Amino acid sequence: MNRLEVLKLFMVEEKRTKSSLRQLSAVVWSQLKMMLAYKSWLIMDLLSTFASVVMYYFVGMQVDPTRLSQSGWGTSYLAFSLVGVATSNYLWACLTRLSHSIQHEIRGGTLETIAVTPINMFIFFIGLTARGYLVSLIYLVGVFTVGVYGLGAKLSFTPQSLFLFITLFVLMLVSNQALGLVAAGIIMVYKRGDPLVFILAAVNEFLAGVLYPLELLKRFPAVQLLSMLFPYTYALDGMRRVLILGASILDLKVLTDIVVLGVFSIMLVPLGLKTLAWGYNRIRREGTTSSY
Amino acid sequence: MRVEDIVKYMAENIPRGRVGAVEKAVAFIIRDFKIWWTYKLWITLDVLSSLTFVATYYFVSMIVTPQALIDAGYAADYLTFSVIGISLQHYVFASVSSLSDAIREEQWNGTMETLLSSNTSFRVFLLGESAFRFIIGSYFLLASLGMGVLLGIRLLLTPGSITAALVLTILLVASHMVIGVLGAAMILKLKQGDPIVWAFSWLTQLFSGVLYPLGLLPDWLKWVGNAFPLTYSLDGLRRCLMNGEGFDSPMIMENTLKLVLFIVVVLPFSLWFFKKAYDSTRREGALGQY
Repeated sequence: MNRLEVLKLFMVEEKRTKSSLRQLSAVVWSQLKMMLAYKSWLIMDLLSTFASVVMYYFVGMQVDPTRLSQSGWGTSYLAFSLVGVATSNYLWACLTRLSHSIQHEIRGGTLETIAVTPINMFIFFIGLTARGYLVSLIYLVGVFTVGVYGLGAKLSFTPQSLFLFITLFVLMLVSNQALGLVAAGIIMVYKRGDPLVFILAAVNEFLAGVLYPLELLKRFPAVQLLSMLFPYTYALDGMRRVLILGASILDLKVLTDIVVLGVFSIMLVPLGLKTLAWGYNRIRREGTTSSY
Repeated sequence: MRVEDIVKYMAENIPRGRVGAVEKAVAFIIRDFKIWWTYKLWITLDVLSSLTFVATYYFVSMIVTPQALIDAGYAADYLTFSVIGISLQHYVFASVSSLSDAIREEQWNGTMETLLSSNTSFRVFLLGESAFRFIIGSYFLLASLGMGVLLGIRLLLTPGSITAALVLTILLVASHMVIGVLGAAMILKLKQGDPIVWAFSWLTQLFSGVLYPLGLLPDWLKWVGNAFPLTYSLDGLRRCLMNGEGFDSPMIMENTLKLVLFIVVVLPFSLWFFKKAYDSTRREGALGQY
């Protein structure tokens, strides 16, 4: 076979899909297949969901309802912790999943291969987050189901509160995923940085008051100020007001939470997209798409 | 060269320098320390992340009433109770899971086969792999307790309670090494998702009284906690550190005896189980697979 014949062979026009939706579904499907390949892991995760809720049920038995209600969150610690525990998994998924998946692709040597295919890399990166989102969704539904129907936590699930909860939840995902994009872009270039994202998520979880009322931070103004720098703090506050206290859109605090989350999203999404594009273009230019 | 010649060549007895088990274990510790030290950022951040747990329960303790602790025979201080619980649970979980992680790492890097085909027995291998993890775990444990002290935990230390706490800590480490070996055997065979480590993590969090005294559990659930050495270790160490009890306390003696019994019964089984998994993986030629 001479050189021209080889070139001709490579130039055969294959039918390729240009549909972004099909590309996205293909990446998501590949992620799901990998996830389902580890069945025992999936089962363990589901059981962990149950275990974690039960644990906070018993912790709640020690909480003094008067002290909790003085913080303005009703008398049920189970209901209070349930909203935090259910949504904090999404915080971790948003902040850490993409950078971790990209590192995994780089380590497996598959990022370079995918980069030379005609896939839209932005679509690919979105698809990579699917697994974390799906696992977190299972966790969220599991936590609420066990907590509300199994252990009797009282949460308000009216059409209005659900609509507000979903609004706040989506804004939380957008703003935190934007931070995740920034982290992924930086980690792609500098290779190490996973621990930084990990600590960011841990500190964020602590400062947002997943397990305690933020009113207790008043004794530490500097820590309280720091907690206000993270979008998850506002998202959790709003979601708790809606689900525990049954607050409506007319509640000034819920409205403030929505506005602040909107501002965070508007500011962070372009930054996240630009950082991710910068990171990806830089490793392509430097030829380090498969080095780790 | 004929086959017989090759076999003869391979069977040649090459005299090797005698290296004792302790020296080999020390070599493992030095190797792991060198690797660990290259990730300084990880170390700092790992400590920071465990400190966020302690800080979280500092705030939780502000809304908790200590009645359940008093009923269980502990001092009325939820912060001290939870900090001891979280620190020890993290300590043993990190140490137990890191043995499985270390085996995964050896498999992933392709060094598992090389290491075990050298003149190193699997017992020394396990001792070496786990020793460093427990040492590092102690570092995190001390950091968590130190943070607790800064936040105001109250420890009642007397010569008697310190002695009992030291003995209980040694038994805690030994009993959890046994569980770590079982987990490592599972990783050798399954390669992924160690169910022993997972079950250990969640079941102990629920039933060993990490964040609440076991008296809060319904009677039909209390027996589950009795299967885990962490339950006895936590109860014993809390009585020593919170109440100042020593070996003259019947509860401390009971916890100590239960831990010794656990080690005596489960250690031979876990070594046998690991040997079985190890031999079967070797026969299948899957020692280096991941």
